[in-house]
Amino acid sequence: MSRRAFVARGAAAGLVLALDPIRVLRGGEAEAAGLGEGLPATLAPTPFLRIAPDGSVTIVVGRSEEGQGVRTALPMLVAEELDVDLGCVALLQAQPGDDFPNLSTGGSDSVRSAWVALRDTGAAAREMLITAAASRWRVPRTECRAEDGAVVHAPSGRKAPYGSLASAAARLPVPTNPPWRSREEWRLIGTRVARVDGPAIVTGRAVYGIDARPEGALVAAVARSPVPGGTLEKVDSARAREVPGVRSVVTIPGGVAVVAETTWAAFEGRDALSVTWDESAAAGLDSAAIWKLLEGAISRSQPTRWEGDVEGALASAPRRHAAEYRYPFQAHAPLEPTSCVADARGWRCVLYAPTQAPNRVQAEVARALDLPLEAVTVNVTLIGGGFGRRLAADDAVEAARISRAVDAPVQVVFSREDDFAHDFLHPASIDRLEAGLDVHGLPVALTHAMAELHLSMFGPLDLKSPGTWEGNPRGGWDTPYRLPNLRVDYAPVASPVRTGAWRAVSYPSGVFARECFLDELAHLAGQDPLRYRLALLDGPNVRLGSRVLDRSRLRRVVALAAEKAGWGTPLGPGRGRGIACNLYDLGTAVAEVVEVEVGRDGTVRVPRVVCAVDCGQVVNLWGVEGQVESGVVWGLTHALGSEMTFRKGRVVERSFADFPVLTIDAMPRVEVHAVSTERRPSGLGEPPVPPVAPALANALFAATGVRVRTLPIGRQARPPAAAPAAGSPPRS
Amino acid sequence: MLLSLRVNGRHRRVEVRPETPLLWVLRDVLGLRGTKLGCGAGQCGACTVQIAGVAHRSCVTAVSEVGEREVTTIEGLGGDGLHPCQRAWLDEDVAQCGYCQPGMLMEAAALLRDRPHPTDAEIDRALGGHLCRCGTYQRIRRAVHRAAGGGGGAP
Repeated sequence: MSRRAFVARGAAAGLVLALDPIRVLRGGEAEAAGLGEGLPATLAPTPFLRIAPDGSVTIVVGRSEEGQGVRTALPMLVAEELDVDLGCVALLQAQPGDDFPNLSTGGSDSVRSAWVALRDTGAAAREMLITAAASRWRVPRTECRAEDGAVVHAPSGRKAPYGSLASAAARLPVPTNPPWRSREEWRLIGTRVARVDGPAIVTGRAVYGIDARPEGALVAAVARSPVPGGTLEKVDSARAREVPGVRSVVTIPGGVAVVAETTWAAFEGRDALSVTWDESAAAGLDSAAIWKLLEGAISRSQPTRWEGDVEGALASAPRRHAAEYRYPFQAHAPLEPTSCVADARGWRCVLYAPTQAPNRVQAEVARALDLPLEAVTVNVTLIGGGFGRRLAADDAVEAARISRAVDAPVQVVFSREDDFAHDFLHPASIDRLEAGLDVHGLPVALTHAMAELHLSMFGPLDLKSPGTWEGNPRGGWDTPYRLPNLRVDYAPVASPVRTGAWRAVSYPSGVFARECFLDELAHLAGQDPLRYRLALLDGPNVRLGSRVLDRSRLRRVVALAAEKAGWGTPLGPGRGRGIACNLYDLGTAVAEVVEVEVGRDGTVRVPRVVCAVDCGQVVNLWGVEGQVESGVVWGLTHALGSEMTFRKGRVVERSFADFPVLTIDAMPRVEVHAVSTERRPSGLGEPPVPPVAPALANALFAATGVRVRTLPIGRQARPPAAAPAAGSPPRS
Repeated sequence: MLLSLRVNGRHRRVEVRPETPLLWVLRDVLGLRGTKLGCGAGQCGACTVQIAGVAHRSCVTAVSEVGEREVTTIEGLGGDGLHPCQRAWLDEDVAQCGYCQPGMLMEAAALLRDRPHPTDAEIDRALGGHLCRCGTYQRIRRAVHRAAGGGGGAP
């Protein structure tokens, strides 16, 4: 409430500065006039912090926790500047609204975008508290300092806890450029801080979306069209209504919902429905047809980057090499199935949503129910794995519609089969590369074309403005290598199936193709793939649009990963090492060395992965190491075994039996080396993922001589004896 | 049907159909939501509880099969404090999203009852049926060793 008052005053004074995506309010000389009774007693220099007169400190978290550690790392930034113990701070999850116009969590952006704003928040509060104390004690401000939740006046030994100063400080102007603590003063940033939700997680008290059902709420299971574009033909709900615990069966756009007292009854009721869908819209839609679509599109791809005389250089090159790579559909498959709670009784809607996109949930629910935005309240819960899936609002809209239809609070729960069948998949794509090599085996020209399905999660494909595709294909457009003649082409394709953002979005496929191809070129040139890479990374930085591609940072992590992995030391028969690297969105630099062991029966085992990362300033070292370990497992799972396919418009893989996920018995030893740097943090949730698959494929080549150009590799690789020569056509 | 259960040391009476999976009795009837739905088919381990000290997948265990045996869920694992596994999980900062961890913990605690000092291979065998999409396996191994009194690193 006091927060509202503060914002209102700030806004009225015209002093609100919006820093997208995390916004910070600036007071400036704001509060000089008109201060009196009824003013906030709570100190809140920005929407992210509240210090109440009772001494309680509340940090508001403006990003969703999906395991990447934002509820630890973001409060660390505030606490560092404020000098408070993280253990004494209450965390509050932000709700979409005027204070928080963009709470979206994605793009490895959370720490990156908060780095300035949240330190400013803590620093502004600290400066205001010091000023309040100095003026209370009538001593020079310079003699006071903030320390462990209190302001201290050393000469007199006086000490005032923050709470006792909060009301006075709240009346002061918010400083515009509060000084940050120097690195030498840091107590938190760069250390290993345990996850704040750890105790709740290990005792089962942590509340995920699926746990957030209020007392008395009903549960809905929805029968949805098994194919894209299917329409409901007829439904017989008689048997479903007989299932004990089932309350009602309602039809909503896109499905038939069985609403019950318990989750089990809802699932049983849904299974008892007899629903017929008109699936004619998806006739002929299977994986082969989708690959054909991409093959047709790639020959019509358009350049997004074109430097030098590519055709001429290719024509005159003494040696040419071309290869095609394929990346399959992948599911998100978070362990927590998709779910959402909505209470749409009356002309409002309250949601409990495990969402990465609270503002989108608010907007889509408001539209679906024809409510004003402010009538929709979104409470963000913990997320049992997001990986991009929770950037959609389909579950929230369903829950809201069902709640309105039955006039009761309702939780929609997806079964695991629902979760696989109604995901927004990582899209399939094809990459084609060709290079001309000079007499030394170095590339004089390279072309990289990619066709990939558009992400339908973000709306229909818009082909009208070709400039939109700058930056694509990811990993090709921003290739870090020195290539005197370069053309990069891209062909986005409208997707016939639901597609969406997935961990590292478009990078995994482009980097898989680029890093495998480079390995092929190195071998054609008779050179060591590490030295070949280092040679091609040796050059000045490149200006790409308004940004700079910094080769030296990537070169450094490549050299470091190789050194730590013992690159060049012998491994023995059936074993091999592969290396790959990437600059993620021109920011975080990652290099990975994968060791592989291929058994006589062709079984692929990965005993060790060595990673070197430069993600700028490390905030929580435990978080950094965890994200790399996590990215490696993600990369291996999707390179080794999993893929999603379609038959007659239906998703074929509907359980973990069809979609193998890496388990503990296949877990390699992962070694993480974070380069210590003072650069602004550049994010780490996604960057470790893309180099995993190519490093693995390159290791397999080193071990067996077999080139893998289509993922997934499969749990079985052909044994070395059956290995075809390098440069053989892709299997598919 | 009225059934009598022993859950986390307490006697509970529940009115459910006998074929109802224990998972849903725990979550929806008794309000013990620390036990998670992952797959509903015994393929992921998220719903693991202990029945008479042995790890079971509650999503494929009919409540009527439990009988008089004591059911322990994540809420009851530590009694009034923390189980050594829970402490070790915190010390090694194992969890990421954390959703699979109650199941992992129930399995790890059951393993340590049988094998107080498990090898990596024994840990892998016991926990090999548990999926973690965040990929926390390396820390889980370390934490199990720590809980076994062997410190954090793999022996």
